[in-house]
Parts: sequence; structure tokens; C-alpha cells
Amino acid sequence: MSGASCKANGAVYPASSAMMNSVKKPKMEQIQADHELFLQAFEKPTQIYRFLRTRNLIAPVFLHRTLTFMSHRNGRTNAKSLSSHLQLTFTGFFHKDEKPSQNSENEQNSVSLEVLLVKVCHKKRKDVSCPIKQVPTGKKQVPLNPDSNQTKPGSHPSLLVSSNEFEPSNSHMVKSYSLLFRVSRTGRRDTNDVTDTPSRKKRSSSHRDEGETTETFVAQMTVFDKNRRLQLLDGEYEVSMQGMEDSPVSKKRATWETILDGKRLPPFETFSQGPTLQFMLRWTGDASGKSTAPVAKPLATRNSESSSPMETRTSNHRAALMKSVSTDIQTRKEQVLCEPRQKLRIFYQFLYNNNTRQQTEARDDLHCPWCTLNCSKLYSLLKHLKLSHSRFIFNYVPHPKGARIDVSINECYDGSYVGNPQDIHSQPGFAFSRNGPVKRTAVTHILVCRPKRTKPSLSEFLESEDGELEQQRTYVSGHNRLYFHSDSCMPLRPQEMEEDSEDERDPEWLREKTATQLDEFTDVNEGEKEVMKLWNLHVMKYGFIADNQMNQAIMLFAENTGAHIIRRNLCRNFLLHLVSMHDFNLVSTATIDRAMARLRQIQEELPDIEEEQQDQTQHIAPCFHAECIAFKI
Amino acid sequence: MFNTNRQKIMDRTDILNQEWKTRRIQPVHIMTSVGSLRGTREVIPLKTLNAVASVPVMYSWSPLQQNFMVEDETVLHNIPYMGDEILDQDGTFIEELIKNYDGKVHGDRECGFINDEIFVELVSALSQYSDNEDDEEEEEHDFKVEKMELCTSDHHSVISALISLSVCLSVCLSVRYKELTEQQLPGALPPECTPNIDGPNARSVQREQSLHSFHTLFCRRCFKYDCFLHPFHATPNTYKRKNLENQVDTKPCGLDCYMYLVQVSQRSFIHSFIKYHSSVNCCSPSSVSVFTIFTSIKQMGGKNSSFVRGNSRCQTPVKMKLTGEAEAVEWSGAEASLFRVLIGTYYDNFCAIARLIGTKTCRQVYEFRVKESSIIARAPAEDEDTPPRKKKRKHRLWATHCRKIQLKKDGSSNHVYNYQPCDHPRQPCDSSCPCVTAQNFCEKFCQCSSECQNRFPGCRCKAQCNTKQCPCYLAVRECDPDLCLTCGAADHWDSKNVSCKNCSIQRGAKKHLLLAPSDVAGWGIFIKEPVQKNEFISEYCGEIISQDEADRRGKVYDKYMCSFLFNLNNDFVVDATRKGNKIRFANHSVNPNCYAKVMMVNGDHRIGIFAKRAIQTGEELFFDYR
Repeated sequence: MSGASCKANGAVYPASSAMMNSVKKPKMEQIQADHELFLQAFEKPTQIYRFLRTRNLIAPVFLHRTLTFMSHRNGRTNAKSLSSHLQLTFTGFFHKDEKPSQNSENEQNSVSLEVLLVKVCHKKRKDVSCPIKQVPTGKKQVPLNPDSNQTKPGSHPSLLVSSNEFEPSNSHMVKSYSLLFRVSRTGRRDTNDVTDTPSRKKRSSSHRDEGETTETFVAQMTVFDKNRRLQLLDGEYEVSMQGMEDSPVSKKRATWETILDGKRLPPFETFSQGPTLQFMLRWTGDASGKSTAPVAKPLATRNSESSSPMETRTSNHRAALMKSVSTDIQTRKEQVLCEPRQKLRIFYQFLYNNNTRQQTEARDDLHCPWCTLNCSKLYSLLKHLKLSHSRFIFNYVPHPKGARIDVSINECYDGSYVGNPQDIHSQPGFAFSRNGPVKRTAVTHILVCRPKRTKPSLSEFLESEDGELEQQRTYVSGHNRLYFHSDSCMPLRPQEMEEDSEDERDPEWLREKTATQLDEFTDVNEGEKEVMKLWNLHVMKYGFIADNQMNQAIMLFAENTGAHIIRRNLCRNFLLHLVSMHDFNLVSTATIDRAMARLRQIQEELPDIEEEQQDQTQHIAPCFHAECIAFKI
Repeated sequence: MFNTNRQKIMDRTDILNQEWKTRRIQPVHIMTSVGSLRGTREVIPLKTLNAVASVPVMYSWSPLQQNFMVEDETVLHNIPYMGDEILDQDGTFIEELIKNYDGKVHGDRECGFINDEIFVELVSALSQYSDNEDDEEEEEHDFKVEKMELCTSDHHSVISALISLSVCLSVCLSVRYKELTEQQLPGALPPECTPNIDGPNARSVQREQSLHSFHTLFCRRCFKYDCFLHPFHATPNTYKRKNLENQVDTKPCGLDCYMYLVQVSQRSFIHSFIKYHSSVNCCSPSSVSVFTIFTSIKQMGGKNSSFVRGNSRCQTPVKMKLTGEAEAVEWSGAEASLFRVLIGTYYDNFCAIARLIGTKTCRQVYEFRVKESSIIARAPAEDEDTPPRKKKRKHRLWATHCRKIQLKKDGSSNHVYNYQPCDHPRQPCDSSCPCVTAQNFCEKFCQCSSECQNRFPGCRCKAQCNTKQCPCYLAVRECDPDLCLTCGAADHWDSKNVSCKNCSIQRGAKKHLLLAPSDVAGWGIFIKEPVQKNEFISEYCGEIISQDEADRRGKVYDKYMCSFLFNLNNDFVVDATRKGNKIRFANHSVNPNCYAKVMMVNGDHRIGIFAKRAIQTGEELFFDYR
């Protein structure tokens, strides 16, 4: 390799400089080549994970929110929604068209604000229009045109709306919820400039009384739309208010388009001109004040693309932008809801050949860099990386600004299947059939399993000193491979997992072998051979190992093979076998007696044997005769 | 119906494929049209076969759960094929291999061209085509001629020699043929074989003749006839009885029991004695040997008219009376043989004997006994080939004793020799005993006294026998179910949960293992259930071969780079190449999760594979081969 690089040098540089550069230049080249290798090493797994990410988006194999360490992605928790509140903190009411200098001394510095929750219910048969319920939630004095620099943050008036209000009400099925803000301002000026105010305001202002006039401005914001989608997320809002003529709910929905003097005003214009109400909105879980939305929200609604890290903390929402925001749904980024509102920097440090490759990248969010999955928590991110991207090794190192994750190539990654082994058993190479229904082998699955889980702790991702290699190997344990029958090398089907078929004590060939081996003896007669074979098979089957088992073994032998012994006419050989066992001091005479008695008993229970053995008994018959004679005497 | 369904499926598939095309997923083909030979287009279903990953090479082997002893191979059975290139390049290896077997290769033409079996087969096959014997033999000759031609070059001399030869050859061959065919007649047995006792040809023979086959073939260690593991079986003639159990029934077995007969005859004072000698030298040589006979005399017809069995060894001649009316009862050969067998076990318990024979009354048995009395063995007395040691040893003394022995063993060397039961009558187990010289304990299979000093006492543990507190564990032995009676090794034969953890190999309490391609090389073995540290996993089983044989086989295995040899002790090696169990697939590792331990299990050395650490489900098993 060094030779090749030298040659390259020679081609590029003149001979004289080559001498000088020969020391420095190959080093540079080497570094470059090394870097190239480093990139190559990381390129392939990254590509694979990018591909898998896309595939998982199209045809998900599983949902991330079902994983225990991703439980926070599962927003559908009823317990939380019951105790949550909608907190509204009002910063102020701004009405810029005033002339602030004029009568500043007696100027009112607050307006009264009433907040109503408007419930639009489903139409019932008898109803002409949709029934609407208005629930007053409270009245507050809101500062008028406050100076943002002077006001103390704690002093703002705030309102709480219990989320119970958003639960389905008893009689009517509520279609949508919205907040109605009604600001009433008592003015004492007779002079009003209608030119600047919007047309509607003009109409409203014309209604005012002579001296003490009460101006009313209204605005309505949808909390949940018809599909029960949450429209108001945490954030700072500025609502443009409209002057009210008589009824605030003449229109069901407020439109955010403002028409000024017959021509459409760009949305932003209203904010500089019309009266606006500024407030902060938070969904609080309980008293502790964790921000949780009560109902399932879209996976990602925020777009903090343009915002700098500083801004992402509290994104400034303008009500007029809501529509454009909601259309711009992207899965890319989501506001970190559960992490404390503290900036977390994560540095990925890529290691190759055990030394750092300056590829350090700081990120402020907790998305997986490979599959852009928002993990929301550092623990979840690390767990996800470790489990889903096992081609790399991830080590967590605490960092003053957040966290450092050392990424290196997992040399032990063997590509072995780490999924459910039953899937390979069921249909080798056909794990995810898209070709309609596929017949599967019956498999018992555990539906509910509650294993003991260790408390999640970041320490599990720290680099371990001992047995590091082993830890990486057996991170996923269990039967994650296809097994084979040891005799036939055929794949083991899941229903065959339990039985250890090849491990019988007396395999077929061994049973045959013992028979042929005995048959080879020329000086053993056939009766002896037969009893010996029977006994050998009996011993092999039960695997007797102790002398003190022999009495029991003999009785079992008589029980199991008794009928066969009688049928084959081997009783005397059987007795010889017993006596021989007795000679070896393995059985007692009592056992011989009992075994023979059992044999007789079996003989009597076999009716057909009598006929078969009649020719046998015939030549014994004279003996019986003799006996009878003998008895008489 | 089928076609409409088909159409529906096709449509659906098309829709899916269209959709997938946009998503870059491989489309599915259900049907494909092919041009048939006749020129018309036919539509046939296309079945996609998935690629099947190939599995590692496996040479065939036979499953086994216990070791199997094989003899040394004196001839090279086959020249191993290891690929053409090795055969070409490394001819010297094959030469060396053949040299190891003294140049003997299986199937060589020089030796055993035609054996008896082939000869008989050949003649009987040829006889179908020939009418008479002569033709047959001529054919034989032709065959021989061809063979001779191969050997010699000079045709003329050969032919002339053959002509002269043929005459004597034909005679020889015909004689041989007759010999062989006669042997094969049904029922015909070689003269040394005892006829079947249940058969029609049963003859009246002596006890040891009847039991000869049973005695010689039975393996007292395996409880099997002609076992696979122990080539030398001890016959029971020197086995002694621990407890004499030949109790005679004191109650008559029935109305016609011989006891009444004896009583009556005693009362009537009709005495007719048969005098027989009690000393050893009197017994005919043929009848000795079933038991080491020392004198034991039965005195029959005592004063209280019951049988008094005496071991008193009184040297006075015993009188045995004949019954008054000895009836002429016909005793078949089988019955007579059976009687002689049983009398050696039951002695004078005629009722029991009659019950077992089944076709004779005890009275007839008794009468037969009287007739046969001269050749019948008597109940043996306590024999004393080893001086009895003092009984009632304290357990602690035993423990220290065996610990001492163990230390002695450890101190000397790591050589472990195979155990062979010792048999040296009337000699205590001293320095001349093979067990002592091989530094093995005497086992229950030894012929020495049960009080022998060299016997291993077993343990008296009440715990699990898995620490060095247990003398068995300390001595690298499994607990003997006949010696260790308290630890549970002798209980619960059916269930797997035995309190003693030191009897796993003998009970075959192996773990369920699963075979799969290894993560390391070739096949590997994986455990199904998790195991604890030091738990027994499996026995390493295989053929037991001698060290010499292992050297010869090892040369071939080394060439294959695949060896299943495992040193058992100084005499033998376990080879799992041809026969073995699944643990043979465990791979080598320098950082293994298992270890192997050679243990003495009821007189046999066996290899146990144990967990070196806690092993989880589905882990591959490794142990250190070195």
C-alpha cells in the first residue's frame, strides 16, 4: 500500500519535492485513506438503517409506542386526562389604535375579560340548529397595553379550565369545543377614529353610548375540532379580537381572515392594528404542572424547523398561523414535551479503530439520527439505539452540556436473526407474506407477560469494563435461530421443540445391534437367546443402574413381557434367567417366587394360550396321572 | 366458481402490485403464461420457492446415550477420501496410514478370498442350475482355476497340476460343504451347546451346564447379556451371598406335602439311609464350581420332627432316608435339569422347587432329590476368602480414610487407570490387587469381601453432595446408589428431582440440547433451558477405544481437521466420531461456558459436561478441548 501511495506521489509532484514530501505526504494520504475507510465502515450500516426506517414507515412491523421504554409516546392514558387542566395566563390586552399620550393620567390600565367555553353539540332530531352550550369559566381583569419589560411574570392573571369540561357531557354529544374570549372595556372618550379600526369594529363602536361606553371585543378559538383533535397546544398566543355588535356567537366559527375596507388584509396586519389579547396556554397534568395534553394528539404538529435552539423552548404561536402550521405536518420534529424544559445537547462521537474521528455532532433534540424517531427521553433514545441499531455500539458518557454518545462499529454483529424464532419456524424465508393469507403452523404465543424489569437507568449504557464482549453478544437471548434435527438435519418445527426425540436411551439401531450380537453366538440355544434379548431390551428401555433396582426390574419384566414369554414358550428359560440373576446376588428368592407366580397368573389370563400349548401339555399329562395315583396313597 | 375466484384473486393482486410498485416493493406473481409445445399459450400457477440456506457439512453418526466399547481395528477399513487434491498431493499420508495397520487393508484379495458363508451360498446358488453334484463341483473347480491362473504364469504346469489337484479338491470341497450344510439344519446345534430347556430336545444336564450361557454372558455391571461396554464378564461362581436366604418352609405346602411323608416314615422307624460324604473332596469335580462349596450339612429328621437347618459343619455323615414307596415317576430332561438348577438355589425347600417346576409335586421332587443326592450341592457356608474386618466403623473414620486415599491419589500423579473388578480368591486386597495398583477403589463388582479395606464406603450425606464435604464428590465419583443410601441417590427412580446432585450421569439427567449452525464454525449445540453454574448438561458419549487405536484414528481425524476424541483415562479414549450424542457438536473455546469432568460412575469412567457459569436460554455451548 505504501508503495502505491509513493507512486502516486511521484506522478503528481516533481521528483525534487517528492523527496521532501515523502515523509509528510504519505502520512496525509494515509490519514485520508483511513478516513475513507472510516466513512465506508459507517456508510453501510447507516444506509441499511435508512432503508429500514423507510420500510418501517410504509409497512410497520411494530409500533414504537408499544415498547416499554417508549411508553411516553403512547399518549392515550386516561388517568392523566382526568386530572389535567387547561391553564390560561393572560399577559395583556393590546389595543394600539389609541393615542397613548393624550389622557394617560386617567387612563384605565385594565379591561375585564370573560372566558366562556362554548360546546357545540350534535344536532338532535328535534333541533333546528346545533345546540350550543356556553359555560362560563371565569372573569379576570387583564392589564391593558402592558409594558412587557415591566410586568413581573408571576403577576399575570390566570384561569384554569378543568379538562373534565372536555369530557362528553351527559345529554348532548359535543361536537366541538371552543374558547370564547369576551373583553369589555369601559371607555369615556367620545372621539373615535373609525378609519383605522376594522369595519366590524366600526360598527361596534358606533353602538357606544355617549359618555361611559362599554366596548366589547370577542374572539373564539377552537380547542377541539369536530374530529376531537386538539388544536391548541402549549404556547404563547396572540388572538386578534373583534368588536362585537350584539351576539358574540352569530357565527359558529371565527374566521382568521380580516377584511379591511373591502379588501383582504394580510393576516399579520391585524396584529399590528386590531386589538389583540395575549395569553399563554398550558395543559397541566396535575398540580405539579407537567404539561400533558389530555387527548391523543397528532404525532407531530409543531414545526420548529426555522427556530433556533433558544426559540424552540417556547414556540411563539400566533393564532393566525395555526392553519398553516396544521397543514405543515411533518414527522421530522416534535417538541420535547416530557423532558424538563432545559436544553439537552447530545454529541455523537464516532469512533473508528479505537480513536476518535472528530465527527462530533451536537443536536438539541432526542431524535434518532438514523431513523429520525423522536424518542423524547435520553433513556429511550439510548435504549432505542442499542436495540434497533445493533450494528453499532453505543456508549453513553455524561457530558456537562447534556450527553455524549460514543458510536462505534459492532464487530460482533453477526446478522443473526433476533426476532421471534417462531416466525422462521412457521414459514422459513416468508416472514412477512404479502401474498394474501398464508397457512401457519399453530404456535402458542404468550399474550401477557410481565417480566421483572429493572428500573430504567442511564448507567446501563455506560461502557462496561468487564465482559464487554459477552454483553454485546448476548444482548438478545433466547431461541433466535432455526434448529435442526440432529439425525436428519431437517429444520425443527416449533411443535417439535419440546420433545428431545433423538435422545432416547435405546435408539433403534442399538436395539437391533444387541439382538444381532446375541444371534452371533453359536453355543447359545435359541430359547436362551430370546430371553436374553427380551431382557436386554427391557434394561435398555428403563436404564436400570443399581443392584437394588433389580427386584423391581424383574417384576416389571414379568409384567411387561410375561404374555410374550408364555406365548413363545420360554417359561423355563425365564426361570433360568431369574436363577442366574440370583446367582449373581442381584435378586432374592422371594422375587423369583413372585415373578413366577405372576407369570402363572398371566398364563391363566390368556385363554388362547391353552389351546396353543395343548400339544405341549399332552406329553405332560401322563405325569399328572401318576401324580394322582401318588396322591391317593 | 373456481375461475371467478381465480379472477378475483388476480384482480386483487394486480391492485396490490400497482400499489407496491409506487412504494418500491417487490411485486408478487401468481400466474405466469408460458408457451407450450403445441403452440397454444397455457397458464400455469407459478410457485416461488424460497431460497434455503445451506447447512454445514455433517458426516453421519449414530446416536448413543452410553459409551460403547469397540475392539481395535487390525485392518484399515477404508482409505479415507479427503478430496482429490489431497489424495494427489499427499500420497505419503495414505502410505503411512496403511503402514499403521501393517499393510492390512480391508477387502484385500490375498486373505479370505472365499469364506465359509460365501462358499455355501455359492454352491447352493449354483445347484439350481446343475442336476447332480459333480457338475456343481466342477463349477467350483473352474472358479478355483481362475484364481490359480492369476497367481501363476506357466499355463502348462498349472493345468497339469490342476488336473491332479482337482480330484483331491473335489473331495475336500464336498466334505466341507456337507459339514457346513449339516450345521445349518434346524435344531442341530454344535455339541458344546446345551439344548433349549423349553424345546422338545431338552436334555437332562447339570446345573452349571443349564446356566452356562446365562452366567457367562451376563454383565453384572450393566445388568445386560453381552453388554456393549465390558468385554470381560465375571462368572458368578465366586460371588457370594450376603445373606443366606434359603429358608425352608416350615409349614407343609398341602395335604400331600413331602413333610408328612417324612414324618410318617420317621414314626414308623423305617430308616434307610443314604450316606453321603460331606467333605469337599468327595464331590465329583463336575459338580463343584457353582458355588465355592464348603461344608454345610443338613440334618434331616430331627427329634422334634421338623427340619433343622444347620450350618454347624459337623463332620458326621448325614443320613438321608428313602421314602418307603418310591414311585416310578418319569422325569423329563427339562424337568431334571430344572430341578438341578433350582436345588442349587433353594436347597431343601422342595415345596418351592415343586412350585417352580410346576409339573411335579414336592413329594416327587423330594424323592428325586434322594435319588440324586450324591451330586447335589449343598448350601454354602460363610466363606472367607478375605479376612473380615471389624464392623461398626464410625462414619468419621470412613470419611478420613477415604480422604486419605484421595490425598494419596492426588499426591502421586494425574494418571487415572481403568477399573477392572479384582478377583483373587482368598487373598485380601493388598499391593498385588489390580485395584490397589491402579489406585482405584474396589467396587461392588469386585470379588473381594464387602469388608475389603480398599472399598469405597460411599457417602452418608443428607445434603446435595455437590460440595467437597461429600466424600464421593471429593473423590470425583458419582454417588453409588448401592452404597450411598442417605443422600437420595437410591431414591426416586422415576422422577428427575433427586436430592442428590451427584448422580446425574448415571441417571442420564441431561439437558435438552438443540442443534443449529454454530456462530463460530460448522455445527453448534445450543441449550434449550437456562442452567445454573455447575449444573450437569450432558455426558460426552462415544465409542471407547484403546489409546493405540486412538492414535491410529487420530491421524485421520487430524487430516480432516475435525476430531471427536476425548481422553477418558490412561487406557481408553472416547471417540464420538461414529457414535455419540449431541454434545459432540459443542465447539472449542478458550473462554468456554462449560467444562468437562471425567468421573467414576459405578465403576466406569464417564465424561460429564457441566456448566462453568450460569447459561441462558439459547446460548451455544463451548468447552475447552485442551
